[in-house]
Amino acid sequence: MNCKLVTLALLISQVGFAESQYTHWINYTAANGMPDDKVTSVAIDHERVWAGTENGLVLLVGGRIERVFQPADGLAHRFVTGVAVDSKTGDVWISTFGGLSQYSGGHFHNYSSSSSGLANDIVYGVGLQGDNVWAATTAGISRLNVRTGEWTVFSERNAPLHEPWSYGISVSDKKVYVAVWGGGMLEFDIAGEYWKPYNDPDGEMEIVLFRNQGLIHDIVSSVSWNPDSKMVWASTYFGLSGYDGRNWHNYLSTDSGVASDFINAAKSVGPYVWACTDKGLSRLNFKDNTWETYRVNAQSGRGEIIMTDGNGKVTKRETLTALAHSYILNIDVQNDDIWVATAKGLSHGTISHKENESHANLRSRR
Amino acid sequence: MRSLAALVALASVLSAAESYLSPTEIKLSPNGRTLYVVCEDSDALLSIDTPSCKVTNRVTVGHRPKDVALSPDGRHLYVSNEWSDTVTELDAQSFAVRRTLKTGWGPIGLTTDKTGATLYVANSIGDDVSLIDLAKGCEIKRLKSWRSPNAVRLSRDGSRVFVSNLLPHLAPYDQSPVSELNLIDTTKQIVSERVFLPDAMELRHVAEAPANAGGFLLVALMRPKNLNPLIQVQQGWFLTHGLGLIQPGRTSSTAKQVLIDDIDQYYAGADGIAFAPDGRYALITSSEANVVTIIDTAKLRRHVNAFDPADLPNRLDSARSFVVRRIQTGINPTAVATSPDGANAYIANHLDDSITVIDMTRLSVRVTIDLGGPKEITTLRAGERLFHDASFAVQGQLACFTCHPANHLDGVAWNLETPQLGRDRVANRTLRGIAETAPYKWNGHNPDLETQCGPRSARFIFHSEGFNSEQLKQLTAFIRSIPLPPNRHLSPDGELTASQERGKGLFFGRNCASCHDPKTHYTARTSADVGTAAQYDTSGMFDIPQLERVYEKPPYLHNGEALSLEQIWTVYSPGGKHGQTADLTKEQLNDLVEFLKTL
Repeated sequence: MNCKLVTLALLISQVGFAESQYTHWINYTAANGMPDDKVTSVAIDHERVWAGTENGLVLLVGGRIERVFQPADGLAHRFVTGVAVDSKTGDVWISTFGGLSQYSGGHFHNYSSSSSGLANDIVYGVGLQGDNVWAATTAGISRLNVRTGEWTVFSERNAPLHEPWSYGISVSDKKVYVAVWGGGMLEFDIAGEYWKPYNDPDGEMEIVLFRNQGLIHDIVSSVSWNPDSKMVWASTYFGLSGYDGRNWHNYLSTDSGVASDFINAAKSVGPYVWACTDKGLSRLNFKDNTWETYRVNAQSGRGEIIMTDGNGKVTKRETLTALAHSYILNIDVQNDDIWVATAKGLSHGTISHKENESHANLRSRR
Repeated sequence: MRSLAALVALASVLSAAESYLSPTEIKLSPNGRTLYVVCEDSDALLSIDTPSCKVTNRVTVGHRPKDVALSPDGRHLYVSNEWSDTVTELDAQSFAVRRTLKTGWGPIGLTTDKTGATLYVANSIGDDVSLIDLAKGCEIKRLKSWRSPNAVRLSRDGSRVFVSNLLPHLAPYDQSPVSELNLIDTTKQIVSERVFLPDAMELRHVAEAPANAGGFLLVALMRPKNLNPLIQVQQGWFLTHGLGLIQPGRTSSTAKQVLIDDIDQYYAGADGIAFAPDGRYALITSSEANVVTIIDTAKLRRHVNAFDPADLPNRLDSARSFVVRRIQTGINPTAVATSPDGANAYIANHLDDSITVIDMTRLSVRVTIDLGGPKEITTLRAGERLFHDASFAVQGQLACFTCHPANHLDGVAWNLETPQLGRDRVANRTLRGIAETAPYKWNGHNPDLETQCGPRSARFIFHSEGFNSEQLKQLTAFIRSIPLPPNRHLSPDGELTASQERGKGLFFGRNCASCHDPKTHYTARTSADVGTAAQYDTSGMFDIPQLERVYEKPPYLHNGEALSLEQIWTVYSPGGKHGQTADLTKEQLNDLVEFLKTL
């Protein structure tokens, strides 16, 4: 009886696994309208998708490339590193290598270090918190209060930044989290206006002495607050870290299903944590400790899903369509849709049951 | 106790009686039987019974009220109070104050949406639009407008709110101005479009034609040729006044511009706009010419469609094609409203406390309603009238107010006439709080306002005989009386934030006060060379500007090349001539800027 129950549970688990997998991909590359293959960032705003590339900002509406914005259109710089959509005002904030852009009502307004209080023109990430716009720059963290116009710079002089080079911003209702390259993760208390640093307890060593002792490494490439699980996740170049306010939960490729320890970005929504690695897109289901990694089979060009269950057992599944590339830079999630920024294009993944689509048809879409 | 209350009431009446009313905005009740009049200088709202033309009610609102909006059912009124940063909500029948709503900085234009659920308020100093949830009585969001948002209008179908911006974009000083009209989607409550109007500025009232008359928008504007030498004023076609015609589309709008001036007579200060209910006529007030122009809208559309949109804005022969009549109004007509039955149009005469009623059948003045302000014209009032009077300029092209809207600045640089033509292009400067900041002009050559506004202005700006000595006395007295607005960056108790305090330390520690002396309004009242002389400047010495309310004064430096306070030091301080700031960190520079904003 027990044996049957276990078998039934496994079957249900497998069915659930498969049903929530992303098996259908549509890719957008320089060959079909993108201004550049290297897509650095992506943000979903209902039917609109904003994608930052090395050569401009792309707006997709209903799955079609609607417009490409470049400096000639008013964008601060061609190299776009991050996008954040203000759900209240509809304005889009764009971090670039030439300052910060605000897209509003069809036009850009730009902020640079010479024309405003922005700390530096190399801006890697942008986040929105109430009336504040936060920008992660190479010279510290900048905060603009859009109502008063006041700029505040947080750097090694007035915040616990070992390095001023900040990479990413994520906002919760009470905190602002910042990824600092070589400086760990910072937490800003909005009400109290103070910082709290989180660093690798092993210091500079690229080893982990105790698995869940603290942040896995100080080279943090991005942070992601999950409002559902109330956890913050940090991607590093040496593994993935999650913090629930009490305990750390760390993952390495050697002891989990994450595709690689070199993680460019993390995104956590619902029970899932997405890790954008240099060897594929990995998804952790934090509830049951199962993993999926989406990548491109270099030989066949088809997609692969590598599944790792809670016991470490690995299975593989092949899909007819695949991500544009296995080098993943960023991701955004809206319900069952995911949009993935890769080194060779933008990918739209959906949960599809049409597994019998013709190979030729799929080839033509890639 | 009762006698004390009576004394207070009497004092209030006496105080009110001593103030000019200065009606600046009007709105009609849905049935057209009541006209609501916003009286800027007496902090009051009046109601007028339109059949009898009598003032029936008066209520005190906040400081410097600017506009009034009605709820869709006509039961409530909302008055924006520019200097209180509030909106007063009133019962339309009893005039009882229901509550006071907080807004952003400097609320001016406002409207409710079609359901009456949301109030849209243009914040002229905050450069944004507050959306206020009227059920909860609190602000729900602010939308970026751009620069000094001014008039606000709900579209006839309720799907959009239109917001005009008084000042143009901040841009390099050698470019002509570009202004914008914001379109707000009332369903999504976002700015859905920004309509750019090139070579135009000082966008004021907006009105929408009925659908049967084309459904287009008209917005009052000015078209300056500020890149040309000012001597062009004498030859005409320099400061022209007109309308923006915007045809809103589903996703994008088209914009054209047309002039309402005649070839040899200009109509400065295009301001109020209203359509007759059937759309046949549009009325535009020229606040500095004391005229309302009545336009045949069908002829206007035909004319606009007959010419190349690039050529149209500069044609001074346009008006004769569509202007039906020019009617003299009272002094400084600002707002205009038409009655629902189309019989009358009402015009607020800002500087003579009256309402002109136009008979829309005869297209003539039916009656002038005296609102009851003081009959004695003081020196200041006379000066204010002169300040708004374009008749002193050649062909009526401009008044002082034309380039100093809201007694402030217009935000662009002008190529003023100098002995060496084409040289010394300078940014316009504010007139607020300048009484004790002589000398005047960027070159500091005018020791007092009498010199600034006297024969030199007559010769170089107005190209006319100018003001006589009595008028000059009145005008300069008025200019000296122009107050500074409240400081929005300083806390009510005057306590500085940590950043402002650090900035204060830098300001005095770096000896900024040696030139920007706090004892004399943060100017040393002399000239200095801060290394900003440009190619066409004949001297590097420029008057040290006063710094009070400096955050309201971009662009900066003598030619307006610094578009932000930061740029003064990050871009335009060669060799540290504008203070020793090269070693400041970005945090320190931000602190310094935050302190400057408190002045």
